Amino acid sequence: MSAAVSTIRHVEGFDVARPLSIATLVFLMLPLVFLPLASIFIFGTSKGLPRFWAALTTPEAIFALKLSLATSFWATVFNVLFGLFAAYVLSRFVFWGRNALIVTISLPTAIPTAVAGFALLLLWGPYGTLGRLLAPHGIQIMFTAGAIILANIFVTFPLAFGVMKAVFDTMDHSLEEASATIGASRWQTFWHVTLPSLRGAMVSGALLTFARAVGEFGSTILVSGNLAGRTQTAPLYIFAKFNEGQIEAANAIAIVLALLSFLIFSVLFFVRDRMDAN
Amino acid sequence: MQTNMFGAHITLAPEVLAPQDAPKSRRIAASVIGLSKQFGQTSVLKNISFDIAEGETLVLLGSSGSGKTTILRTIAGLEQPDSGRVILHGRDVTDLPARERGVGVIFQSYALFPKMTVEQNIGYGLKIRRRKPTEIRAAVDRLVELVRLKDHRKKYPAQLSGGQQQRVAIARTLAYQPEVLLFDEPFGALDAQTRTHLRREIRTLLKKVNVPAIFITHDQEEALELGDRIAVINGGYIEQIGAPREIYDHSATEYVATFLGRANLLKGVIEHGRVRVGCTLLPLQNGSKNFKHGQLVSLVARPEDMRLAKHGRPVSESFAGGIVREMVFAGAYERVSVQLDLEAAEILVTRLKSEAGAAELEVGDPVSVGLTSFTVLEQEGSDSL
Repeated sequence: MSAAVSTIRHVEGFDVARPLSIATLVFLMLPLVFLPLASIFIFGTSKGLPRFWAALTTPEAIFALKLSLATSFWATVFNVLFGLFAAYVLSRFVFWGRNALIVTISLPTAIPTAVAGFALLLLWGPYGTLGRLLAPHGIQIMFTAGAIILANIFVTFPLAFGVMKAVFDTMDHSLEEASATIGASRWQTFWHVTLPSLRGAMVSGALLTFARAVGEFGSTILVSGNLAGRTQTAPLYIFAKFNEGQIEAANAIAIVLALLSFLIFSVLFFVRDRMDAN
Repeated sequence: MQTNMFGAHITLAPEVLAPQDAPKSRRIAASVIGLSKQFGQTSVLKNISFDIAEGETLVLLGSSGSGKTTILRTIAGLEQPDSGRVILHGRDVTDLPARERGVGVIFQSYALFPKMTVEQNIGYGLKIRRRKPTEIRAAVDRLVELVRLKDHRKKYPAQLSGGQQQRVAIARTLAYQPEVLLFDEPFGALDAQTRTHLRREIRTLLKKVNVPAIFITHDQEEALELGDRIAVINGGYIEQIGAPREIYDHSATEYVATFLGRANLLKGVIEHGRVRVGCTLLPLQNGSKNFKHGQLVSLVARPEDMRLAKHGRPVSESFAGGIVREMVFAGAYERVSVQLDLEAAEILVTRLKSEAGAAELEVGDPVSVGLTSFTVLEQEGSDSL
C-alpha cells in the first residue's frame, strides 16, 4: 500500500525522532514476532532437511494437513457465497431488525472460539437440542469433518461478510441507478455492475476466511473430537504431537502452516493494492 | 403571457399551459401532470405540470432544495410521486419501474461503470437488450465518433477527464435511443472553462440527435444558454415557465426576477395608469389595465437597464438621485452600487466599458439615476383585492 506520507518538518536540521522511533519499533517487534517465527524455522531444519521431510510426510501429518485445507476450503466457499448474499440483503433492503441482524452476524468475532465450539456441541451433539432428534436416525454431525467445517464457518463468517458489506456500503448508488435507467433488471445490474466492483472484496474475504480457518484451534478441538487420522486438523496435530513430546513432528507442520499464512497474506496485500489502484 | 404575469403564484394547469407553451406544430414528447410529493411534513413537489416538445430542451432552474432533482428522479422512475402522472410519448409510465421507461439519465457524477471500458459502457444498454454483437459494435462505432472519443474507446473511465466522462455518459444513453434525456446538474463538477465549452458542445449535440432533454441546474447563466425554455422552481413549485428572454424580460414574480440574473426591486404606486417612483411618473409599459389607481407595486429593473449621470447632467428617464457607494471592475463591464435617496436599499447598475469611459464616476459622487426599461409586479404580500 502506498499511502501518502506527510512531509512536514518538525525540527530544524537533522530529525533524530525518525531513526530513533524506527529502531524502537524494530527492537520491540523482535521478541514479539520475528524471533518466535525464526525459531520455528531454525529448530525445524536444525537436524537437516531429510529429517524435516520425514516428519512432514508421515501419513498422520499428511492427513492432518489435507483435512485442514479441505475443511477450510469448504468453509471459505460457503462464506464468500453466503457472505455476499448477506451483505447484499443487509445493505440494499431496509427492514425492521436489520441492525440487530448485522450485530448478530458480526458477533462471532468477539466470542472466544472455545465458546463457539461448545455452543455447537450443545446444539448438534448427541445430547444437544437438535442432535438429540437426529441421533435416533443414525445422523451424527459432531466429531466429523462436517463439524469442523461448521465450526470454521461459525468463527470466520464475520470476516468475509464484513469485508464485502463495507464495499456495498461505500458503493456509489448512482451506478446501480444508472444501470436500472439504462434498462437492466435487478439481476443484470448485480451481475454486470455490482459484482465487478466486489471482486477484490470477495478475494480478500476468501483469503481472510481461509487463513483464519486453517489455523482454527479452539472450536475445532471441541467439535472434532481430535481423532488422529480421522478428525485431527493441522493445528490439533501440532498440539497433540507437542503433548506427546514429538517436537520435530509438531515443528514440521508448524513450518508449513507459517509459510501458508505468509503466502496468503502476501496475496492479500497484493490484491488490496490492485483494488486501491482501480 | 400578460394574463399570468401578475399573480404572485401561478398554478400552471396543463390545459392552460399547452396552447401558449408548446407550439402546436411540434409533437409533445413528454409531459408531467400534477406531480406532488411529500417527505414527512414537508411537501417537496406541489402540483408540478409541464410538457416538453420533440427535440426541445427544457431547463429546470432552482436553488438546492427547490425540488428540481426530485422532479427529474420522478420522471426517471427512481422516485415515486404521491400523486400525478408521467407521460412519455403518450404512454403513462408513472407506475413502471425505471428500467422499462427508456429514459436516459446523465448523473452528476456521470456514474460510468468503473470496471468497463468506454466501449463497454456505451454498449451496455444494447448488451442487456441482448442485441447481436455486430449490431452493438456498429452502434458503438457510430457513438464514439459522435462524441469524439474514438481514440479513447479502450480506456477505463478513471483514465478520462471530467468532460470526456460526461460524453461517454451521454453516448451510453443515446445507444438505446431514449425517449428523453435527463441531465442532473451535469456541469457541477467541472471548472468554469470546461463548463462553458461543454455547454456549447452538448447543445450542438442535442440539436443533432434531436432528442428532447431536461436539464436541472442552479446556474442561471447555464439555464439561459441551454434552455429552449426555462422553468424556475422554488419550494417545489413552478414560479414561471417560458422562453429565456421572456422570463428574463418579463419575470412573473420577484423570485424569478432576482434568481434569473440580478434585479433591482423598487417600490412604486399606480397613479392614473402610470407608475410613480420617487419624484417621477413613468409610463406603464404593458398590462396597465390590471392595476388600479393607488395600488402599491414593485418595479423590477435589471442593472443594465439603469442609467447613471453625474448630478446635474441629463440622464434618460431620471427618477431619483443617489450616491455611488462602490465600484467593481468586472472585465467587459463595471458594477456600480448606488445608495438611492428614496429607498434604504442600494441598487446595482452595470455599465459597459464604453459607457463607463464616457462618464467616469468615483465612489462618493452624487448621481442621477434613470430607468429605461422595467417590469411592474403586484407587490408580494400586499392584498391584491
